[in-house]
Amino acid sequence: MTDTSAQGGGHLLDRLNRWYSRLEDLLAGIAALSIFGLMLFGVVQIVLRSIFNAPIWGYIDVVEQLMALFAFLAVAYCQRLGGHVRMDLIISRFRGRLYWIVEFLAVLVGLVFIAIMIPPSYEHFVRAYELGDSTIDAGIPIWPSKLAVPFALSLLWLRLLLQVIGYGRLALMPKAEPIAVPTVLAVEELAAEEIREALGDDAGKPEGAPR
Amino acid sequence: MTEMDPLTIGMIGMGALVVIVFLGVRVFIAAGVVGLAGLIAMIGWEAGVGIAGTIPHSKSVTYTLSVLPMFILIGYLAFHAGITQAVFDAAKKWFGWVPGGLAVSTVFATAGFAAVSGASTATAAVFSRVAIPEMLKLNYDRRMAAGVVAAGGTLASLIPPSAILVIYAIIVEESVGQLLLAGFIPGVLSAIIYAFIISGRVVINPEMGPPVRGFTWGERFKSLPGTLPIISVIAIIFSAIYSGWATPTDAGALGAFVVFCIALYRGMTMGKLREALLETARLTVMIFSIIWGVLVFVRFLGFAGLPEAFAAWVTGLDMPPVMIVIMILIVYAILGMFMDGIGMLLLTLPIVYPAIVGLGYDPIWFGIIVVKMVEICLITPPIGLNCYVVNGVRPDIPLSDIFRGITPFFICDILTVALFIAFPEIVLFLPNLMLN
Repeated sequence: MTDTSAQGGGHLLDRLNRWYSRLEDLLAGIAALSIFGLMLFGVVQIVLRSIFNAPIWGYIDVVEQLMALFAFLAVAYCQRLGGHVRMDLIISRFRGRLYWIVEFLAVLVGLVFIAIMIPPSYEHFVRAYELGDSTIDAGIPIWPSKLAVPFALSLLWLRLLLQVIGYGRLALMPKAEPIAVPTVLAVEELAAEEIREALGDDAGKPEGAPR
Repeated sequence: MTEMDPLTIGMIGMGALVVIVFLGVRVFIAAGVVGLAGLIAMIGWEAGVGIAGTIPHSKSVTYTLSVLPMFILIGYLAFHAGITQAVFDAAKKWFGWVPGGLAVSTVFATAGFAAVSGASTATAAVFSRVAIPEMLKLNYDRRMAAGVVAAGGTLASLIPPSAILVIYAIIVEESVGQLLLAGFIPGVLSAIIYAFIISGRVVINPEMGPPVRGFTWGERFKSLPGTLPIISVIAIIFSAIYSGWATPTDAGALGAFVVFCIALYRGMTMGKLREALLETARLTVMIFSIIWGVLVFVRFLGFAGLPEAFAAWVTGLDMPPVMIVIMILIVYAILGMFMDGIGMLLLTLPIVYPAIVGLGYDPIWFGIIVVKMVEICLITPPIGLNCYVVNGVRPDIPLSDIFRGITPFFICDILTVALFIAFPEIVLFLPNLMLN
């Protein structure tokens, strides 16, 4: 997302961002694989149940516990890429320092919110762990999936911290190159992004060869 | 800690939410933080934080929601299954002979592809490349050619599989299966109405779009296998829900697997598969985050008694219920011009939904109407993202032309919504059939 730039004290931030992005990518990869796994698992379940009349025992329990992987692990990755829905119609009109200040405040709100959410979600896990909570049918322990929440939220918190620093830096130095922050797209750019995703790299040309 | 009555706190919370959403805070954070603050204000720090902290896990890790990544995965894989050209060719061979044949074919091809891909804007991008050049080669009216591609993509959300209908079902706690079934007839009907409006205009003014004739029945049937991925996915999900031989998740998994195999057969690379899976993961976590964030907010609203109060106020209005529904839909249309559909639905439904039910309307029916409204917003200025996408692929067709080309379809859509309001049976026929 960001180019190397030492300008405006961004060198260290850039390195941190890159290093941290790798961890986020890894977790997003695990989430992606869990989705692929769910697909295969579902097909196996259908085959076993309808052809051999022998459904996987505790199937729904397993799926539910597996869900924690794709429901939470990629949350910081998505935040880095600016993938969480928001309404940017108004703030995309802002320019310069004002814009960076508003972005800074927006991630600061997130930082505070997630900081408050981590301890109770962790306690939620501790309770399940200490009581030995398990699923109704298959008796799978529930605590691992509950642990996924404080874990993913902590990672999100660190990502938000990087963004708070990134936007704070830009609020102080509006002319510096943006580092460790997603860029906001105007509707034309958003359209271009959609086209790139749908059509591949050669998008934007009026007439290309059929895919 | 405060003497304010719950309803006042609820209203302040709503106001705060609107302000911070407009200031660009991510919706899941905005809803979550306001919900959390509201809970703390009403029941104290300990209890408020404690409740909020359990919501992400308890509301996300439920089997019903596991269908979402499957539907999303189907969509991303569909782009690699090489079906766009094949579907357009098949549609052309079957429907090309009618007045405005290529445009009509585009409607059916985009509707089919959009249904499976679930992505309105991406469908518009792909068909701008596949269908517009062919239409222009035959001297089709430029505005109509661009308009039909931008509008066709909006049929994505009604025909199953549809992630947005699943989200609606979960938020209002209705049956996912019934909502998916309910979308089918309105989605297909919308496509047919589009086709009629095109043919009607071309009959009046034949120069707008000459038909394409001369395909033999042999050629027609030979074109069908190309549409197999689309037909099989829709058939799997539809039949699974209808007859109950699989849960929506299982049906989604099987559908994704079928598209995956076809994509592999068509030479999808590892890199592309990785990309599709990562995109799926990103969209999935986005939806889950917003669901739990909004549910923290909903818990607060519940404590404040706001949904009941709003419902009581709305049902007490001295106005025919249908007028109230129309006004709510107008608010949705305005909101939808500025905001992503999923975020908009999740933020508003907890308040609006009890009122609708209080007025005596069917929740399934309302889901279809609202989702149709969300889709209409994709082609309405000032944002109208689909129009920008078509313009991005075809910079030679000015935006003003595309927006003008879309106008007849827009009017059609409004009339279609009116039709669903006047005859709810159109929407409720299939889900009621399942219930019996």
